[in-house]
Amino acid sequence: MSAVDESRARTHGSPIEHTEPVVVIIGSGAGGGTLAYELTAQGVPCVVLEAGPYLTGEDYVNDEWEAFNQMAWLDMRTTSGGWRVARDFPNLPAWIVKAVGGSTTHWSGATPRFMAHEFRARTTYGEVEGASLLDWPITLEELAPYYDRAERAMGSTHRHGRPALPANNNYTVFANGAERIGYRHYATGPYATNATPYDGRPASIQDGFNFQGDKNGSKWSTLVREIPRALATGRLDLRPNCQAVRISCAESGSVDAVEYLDARGDLHKQAARAVCVAGNSIESPRLLLMSASAQHPDGLANSSGQVGRNYMRHLTASAYAKFERPVRMHRGETMAGIIADEARHDTSRGFAGGFYMETLALGPAFLASFLEPGAWGREFTSWLDAYAHLAGMWIVGEDMPRPGNRITLNHDVLDQHGLPVPNVHFDDHPNDIAMRGYACSVADQLYGAVDALAVHHTPPYPSTHNLGTCRMSADPQDGVVDRWGRAHDVPNLYVSDGSQMTTGGAANPTLTIVALAIRQAEHLCEQMARGEL
Amino acid sequence: MSQQTRQQQPSQEPIDLQVDTSRPEPGTPEPGSELAASDRARRMITRLLRVAYPHETFPDGPYQRTAAAVQEAAGSNQADDRALARGLEGLDRAAGGDFLALDDGAAEALLRDRADEYFFRRIRSTAVVALYDDAEVWNLLGYEGASFDKGGYLHRGFDDLDWLPAARVDEYDGGRRVELVEDREAAR
Ligand SMILES: Cc1cc2nc3c(=O)[nH]c(=O)nc-3n(C[C@H](O)[C@H](O)[C@H](O)COP(=O)(O)OP(=O)(O)OC[C@H]3O[C@@H](n4cnc5c(N)ncnc54)[C@H](O)[C@@H]3O)c2cc1C
Repeated sequence: MSAVDESRARTHGSPIEHTEPVVVIIGSGAGGGTLAYELTAQGVPCVVLEAGPYLTGEDYVNDEWEAFNQMAWLDMRTTSGGWRVARDFPNLPAWIVKAVGGSTTHWSGATPRFMAHEFRARTTYGEVEGASLLDWPITLEELAPYYDRAERAMGSTHRHGRPALPANNNYTVFANGAERIGYRHYATGPYATNATPYDGRPASIQDGFNFQGDKNGSKWSTLVREIPRALATGRLDLRPNCQAVRISCAESGSVDAVEYLDARGDLHKQAARAVCVAGNSIESPRLLLMSASAQHPDGLANSSGQVGRNYMRHLTASAYAKFERPVRMHRGETMAGIIADEARHDTSRGFAGGFYMETLALGPAFLASFLEPGAWGREFTSWLDAYAHLAGMWIVGEDMPRPGNRITLNHDVLDQHGLPVPNVHFDDHPNDIAMRGYACSVADQLYGAVDALAVHHTPPYPSTHNLGTCRMSADPQDGVVDRWGRAHDVPNLYVSDGSQMTTGGAANPTLTIVALAIRQAEHLCEQMARGEL
Repeated sequence: MSQQTRQQQPSQEPIDLQVDTSRPEPGTPEPGSELAASDRARRMITRLLRVAYPHETFPDGPYQRTAAAVQEAAGSNQADDRALARGLEGLDRAAGGDFLALDDGAAEALLRDRADEYFFRRIRSTAVVALYDDAEVWNLLGYEGASFDKGGYLHRGFDDLDWLPAARVDEYDGGRRVELVEDREAAR
């Protein structure tokens, strides 16, 4: 092999003919990257189309805006609805990464599991007015073995013998406050970043730049684990800077190819034996809607009308507390601190479902933009003046799926390729508002117990957790995919990312996305072995 | 959605992320104002920024750099440029001729009256990014910036907080967590 071929093999893998029908995976993040590895490791050739570039730790920068500009999905999007994001960040509904590895490059690493009752949200919470709750077609018991595999793959601390990360300053404030108000279920994880060397990657150096891509490679991402291993099998053809724009259907009703644009904007077509969509919960439904045809007039796999609906973003809020003495929250792991006491379902608090509290630290650049968008004046600047004395937490809880919260195609605004941009419509459900209010008040108590001078509640910012827009359902009328993530309408079309989640639970979603992808890969292999795909 | 938006949109610059897309009324085209790009405008914006984002510890430098960013952002678009010029003229007029002559309280009061006007919202959306994305400002606020090249904070104080006791990092081993209220009732 020439030097050029070798470096191509390392970053792009082994070429596959455009006419060869293979498994085509769209997106290389938590869902797509995992699936690519699990399939190629079992001998199945795959093409991965990834809209973003191939960047690695060496390319990442320890600078909030620069890193964001380098990797975030900044193609035009529009928003509508009552959520504050539509006013504060009208063209940035979500923080999603457009690069090989997807949002796992910018994620922080919290990996709680769903609780058993969260898979039965409709049964447990009952009929909630204005919500389209549904039970998952699978149970915790069925997913548990895949959770084990996902935790081992991701190296979650506190699990399978992986040691805990040490306490950083932000955690020390958080955990002391928790203990003083009677919480017991706090710890520095589970968190998918190495406390000690593991799986060929080093221990964390606590550099404080999780959200900018971890240059040290201590944090799990599909970029550092699944993608290089899949490339090494010789069965992956990874095509960065290639954006899928349409999935095409054969007469038989099966999908047979994916059309995509390369970096120069040239259109190509890759033949497909099966298509797995993993573009995250805004782009995945957008692609299905853009793939409408005579057979699927309302969008591919959309006979239920559910594609794009039930968009969830988790109840989010943050609280920053100001102290007499320094904290320096920016030093160390961004989110290595979790309190689970409030994750329970307990309607005596005035809402269904529960939430986790997790440590959170931003630098001044992001804090100024997100603390209170639009704010100015002395009250605002006093928070930045106190920067070194601030502690912060994020609140992540279950939000209610609503049919009207949805991704649609906005034909009035076109992106740089001339394609309709996705519009993200979201209205908070009263349950979300009640939970957020309660969560903010317990954040006040927690920080008050360690003598905070003041606490500021930050409104939800662009969504980092995007879920539910192609949801799993037992009944084809209620959702888009079945218990394996296979489209109810199309036998060889799969959804492999967070958009298949029936409900969001309180837990950060990535561990569940990875567990579902491992399970889906196993199912695909079985189907292929039986000659059914 | 108006006809105007039916065109290809380039991808965004991060500085534009908070921009309100409800542009000012188109109005009748006028020649681009001289004021928005002038030295006087630079001084007025610098002053406005100091009043809007007061930090006792900040020297003029960060505010001047931010004022330049505001002018540059406005200059990229005729409508914004005109809105900025009109906004500044309005401030001078309301100040009885010279906004720069007002004390902090009076200047802030004029800005409060204009908090929802497009020109001031546009200034804020640029300023809140530019002012705090500045190494000198980070230093003044006690933020230490890039750390990877220095080995992170592992040996540079990630755990140096000494005014609270050390906290447990492992999970609680004193009993199972309640997940459902029915669980709690059963446990009683
Ligand atoms: C700052 C931040 C912190 C986070 N912290 C946590 C955390 O602590 N715990 C947790 O569980 N989760 C966290 N998350 C969320 C987590 O990153 C996502 O849940 C997860 O990565 C979603 O996986 P996915 O496969 O659905 O999509 P992604 O990982 O976003 O991958 C989607 C990929 O598809 C590509 N793509 C999209 N459309 C196309 C197309 N048409 N053609 C080709 N490619 C396409 C995109 O470029 C992208 O690379 C965080 C996210 C962010 C941004």
